[in-house]
Amino acid sequence: MNESSIADLSGSEPVAFNAALAEPFNVLIVGVGGQGVIMVSKVLATLAQAHGFEVKQSEVHGMAKRGGTVFSHVRYGARVWSPTIAKGEADVLIALEWAEGLRWLPYLKRETGVFICDTKRIVPPFACLNRRPGATLRYSGETAEQVAAYVAEGYAIDATRMAEELGNERAANVVLLGALSTALEFPLPEWERVITQFVPKKSVAVNMAAFGLGRSWIAEARTAAPAAEAPVRPAPVHTPYAPRLEITAEWCKSCDICVKLCPERCLRLNAERVVELFAPEKCTGCRLCEWLCPDFAIRVHLDAEAVPEGITP
Amino acid sequence: MFTDAPNFDIRNYLRMEMMPHFLCPGCGHGMALRALLWALHELDIDKDKLAVVSGIGCAGRLSAYIDANTFHTTHGRPLAYATGLALARPDLHVVVISGDGDCLAIGGNHLIHACRRNLKLTCLMLNNEIYGMTGGQVSPTTSETRLTTTTPLGNTEPNFDACALATAAGAGFVGREVTRHVPKLKELIKAGLQHPGFAFVEVLSDCTEVYGRKNDMGSSAEMVMRQKSEMRPSVYRDSVDTPFRSTDLPTGILTRNDRPEYGASLRRAAALASKGAH
Repeated sequence: MNESSIADLSGSEPVAFNAALAEPFNVLIVGVGGQGVIMVSKVLATLAQAHGFEVKQSEVHGMAKRGGTVFSHVRYGARVWSPTIAKGEADVLIALEWAEGLRWLPYLKRETGVFICDTKRIVPPFACLNRRPGATLRYSGETAEQVAAYVAEGYAIDATRMAEELGNERAANVVLLGALSTALEFPLPEWERVITQFVPKKSVAVNMAAFGLGRSWIAEARTAAPAAEAPVRPAPVHTPYAPRLEITAEWCKSCDICVKLCPERCLRLNAERVVELFAPEKCTGCRLCEWLCPDFAIRVHLDAEAVPEGITP
Repeated sequence: MFTDAPNFDIRNYLRMEMMPHFLCPGCGHGMALRALLWALHELDIDKDKLAVVSGIGCAGRLSAYIDANTFHTTHGRPLAYATGLALARPDLHVVVISGDGDCLAIGGNHLIHACRRNLKLTCLMLNNEIYGMTGGQVSPTTSETRLTTTTPLGNTEPNFDACALATAAGAGFVGREVTRHVPKLKELIKAGLQHPGFAFVEVLSDCTEVYGRKNDMGSSAEMVMRQKSEMRPSVYRDSVDTPFRSTDLPTGILTRNDRPEYGASLRRAAALASKGAH
């Protein structure tokens, strides 16, 4: 961590409530690029450092711009040696995306670990079996209940929706920070001071509200019942369609443009050198062939398709 | 922008008895014609209120396929005919389809004066860098070093930047797009049709049979893909040895201003004159 970034807090007395931590406290923060994983870890690291702990933080954010996985290890304590958390060693696992949370579950301490997870679902491209809207997805099918049975203390919180209701979806990570603040022993004003440091000035109010919301949500969930898991929101359902190509054979001049430029390579010229759709199951109905045909020989119709069995959007 | 148009059936806008059209396989003009008809469809322009004027050449032939009021005029003069038409019938949407040779060489004078007057009409210049119909002679937009039937050693003349010319001559709306991006081209033509003054749209098209073959540019599909790979956001040339076609020119809406429209000015002056005379 950068020394200058904690200048604001240097005046405050280090709190010694946990100074005798024999073992470092491990927090693993995971999510998808753009969600604010790094911001959460910076807040936590700054906070811990301001309280006199030694802090080590390491992250992988290379895929962030591609919507890929991002994770950050934060370890703090009297002495910290390794910058990364070993499997089964994380005290808190905080996930900004549902499947990412499940992916990192083995890193959580089995007996005492706290799992805080946003139920937001961001489906990665490789979980899409084909590119048609509404097609079958290979996204994790585990329910919140199944996960709750696996972890010592688990919270599935719909932080993204809560932040959306506050007017800024991007504050979802601060909702989770609020949830995290209940699991750690730093005083509330310190949290708020550090968060104010890290969020843009214009959005301080909404982020403070988001923080409070996350805190109160966890408090409620603790008092209510262990079954207070928020239901996982289903992903939006698209109406599946079956593209159908209407080909005017007499107009086709075999120029090959549609065949070569089809992104799915599902067109070809037949024996009469007229275009035909030989792999209709691959066609996504993108209309590129229709647009690029100089002879207007192709027209794409998107017919409604009956939902085949087994589709779990 | 890339909205689906399920209601757009191009056959509603074509003279079906003329189809299939005479253009060579893979000719970019077909895509340009689709973009124009799509734009007309999306603007909901009545076919009876549409007049398409075209000159001579491959591009000039396109008016024959449009099911509207069409006018196939003399070489280089579609803008002159269209000027008269637009002044006499301001209720019509007048669209001019012209080629690069038609518009810049034979009709170059008409182009600059149409730009200068800023009369409300839309001029589509389909630039395929060659006189395709007459046998592949060099045109004012042929890139340097390119081979044509009249430049067997490679073209040594610098080519025209038609959009810069139109802007300098005072056109109210100037834009450029390639045929590869049909929806973008449609949006550009739409913006041009909605402009209250003279709208000049340069469409970078492909001549596969004459120009592409002569210059070893591959199949028509390869030429379409080349448009994408050679597209540059601004003027960019590697070296004289690497002949670039004019797709390394900027695309999109290049100029838009609200200079007074010529037809309205003329009618106002005529009204004043008729009052003063009596």
